[in-house]
Amino acid sequence: MDLTALKKQESKRKISKGYMWAFFCAVFWGIWYLPGSVVWVLNPFDEMSAAIAKTSGDGVSLVVTAVLITAFNALTVMLALMLWNGTLGKFGELKRTLKEFHPCSKWFFLASIFGGPMAILGSFIAMGFIGGAFAAVAGLLYPVIGSILAYYWYGEKISKRAAMGIAVIVLGGISIYGGGLLTELSSGNVPWIGYLGGLMAAVGWGTEGAIAGKGLDIAEPDAGLTLRFLGENIIWWIIIVPILALVGFPMYSFALQAFEPLTLLVLIFAGITFGFCYVTWYKSFPLIGVGRGQGIGNLYGFLAVIFIFLFNGTVPSWTILVGGLLCITGSFIMFTEDTSALETLRGE
Amino acid sequence: MGNRPIKFRVLELFLDGKEYWNYEIVSKIQAEYNMNSAYGRDSINFDIIELASGGMLKDIEQKVDEKGIYKKDFLLHKYVITDFGKIRGSDACMRYA
Repeated sequence: MDLTALKKQESKRKISKGYMWAFFCAVFWGIWYLPGSVVWVLNPFDEMSAAIAKTSGDGVSLVVTAVLITAFNALTVMLALMLWNGTLGKFGELKRTLKEFHPCSKWFFLASIFGGPMAILGSFIAMGFIGGAFAAVAGLLYPVIGSILAYYWYGEKISKRAAMGIAVIVLGGISIYGGGLLTELSSGNVPWIGYLGGLMAAVGWGTEGAIAGKGLDIAEPDAGLTLRFLGENIIWWIIIVPILALVGFPMYSFALQAFEPLTLLVLIFAGITFGFCYVTWYKSFPLIGVGRGQGIGNLYGFLAVIFIFLFNGTVPSWTILVGGLLCITGSFIMFTEDTSALETLRGE
Repeated sequence: MGNRPIKFRVLELFLDGKEYWNYEIVSKIQAEYNMNSAYGRDSINFDIIELASGGMLKDIEQKVDEKGIYKKDFLLHKYVITDFGKIRGSDACMRYA
């Protein structure tokens, strides 16, 4: 075969593989909202929120319960990633990357602060207070935060096209938040903490992306992601859960009750889907470019709504659907801007 | 046995500013990290692809692997480090000034 034919074949293989990874990411990410919402009504988390609500009120009880759920989510993601690294034979690389704390792994730990206690906790809070579809769609606002941060931090320019994408996403955000808010304001019952959770998801993921990119560029993503979740587990299990227990919340007694077959199964399901959505996300970038990878990954918002409809039969309000559609359109406008990435991948 | 993350080592090899074919780098890393399987070879090559897509290496020349130096009838790629790769290497992950 000659050089041009081979080049074409190679680029075709890369691109189709890249799209496949990105689409898997969207599927895993979208599915995650199923176990994420279901776990709230399972033992011990339902009993936990009821028990704490009696003494500390509904708001506090849901947030504290969300902390325990997020901590378990981090634990099962870690298990899934360790299994993944083991299968790929990457424990050696994991150790080598961990040892480079100063130049490299510090970024992963910093990223885990924004990813964990902010984005993932916020998502669980939004799922608990408002619902899975809202949580999924609210998270779609993260590219806005990411690009504004990159503008101020690395002085990355925001092009006209990116600004247009951001504007469309913001319109979507107004629809997602505004629609529900209007009806709730008139009824006088606004789940503020849930909305705050949705905002935390967007700000957390946007910030995490900007920080993690600094370390992940020069590490192997499989190893880097595992370290990012190692950081999150430390935050939950060594810092936040013990502090909440010291303050008097029954963290440990309920944590021990989580080892029930059904609860454990749902948590493991959440860990696998969430862990692999991160892995596949990063696998797609070198093949189709970060822009396309993120654009397609963002279809997760759409898929989450479909999965939640199929499994739980709930249809979100039309303002969430319109908002989600606007966010996905906006992210495509933003992310398909840079065509040079695909050309360099073609090696022409 | 290499003791730094593989991508650091790859960047380090490129820091002399010279151009290298992917198979030259891959076989060097395979020897240093004791990764002699076909799977080890492909995963090192993917690291190089990732560095190139991150803008730290530049793919400057391709040729068909007719003799099977690396993988018969596949493309071989020649890379050189970019300015961004040098900066990125020094500010984040290299002991290099």
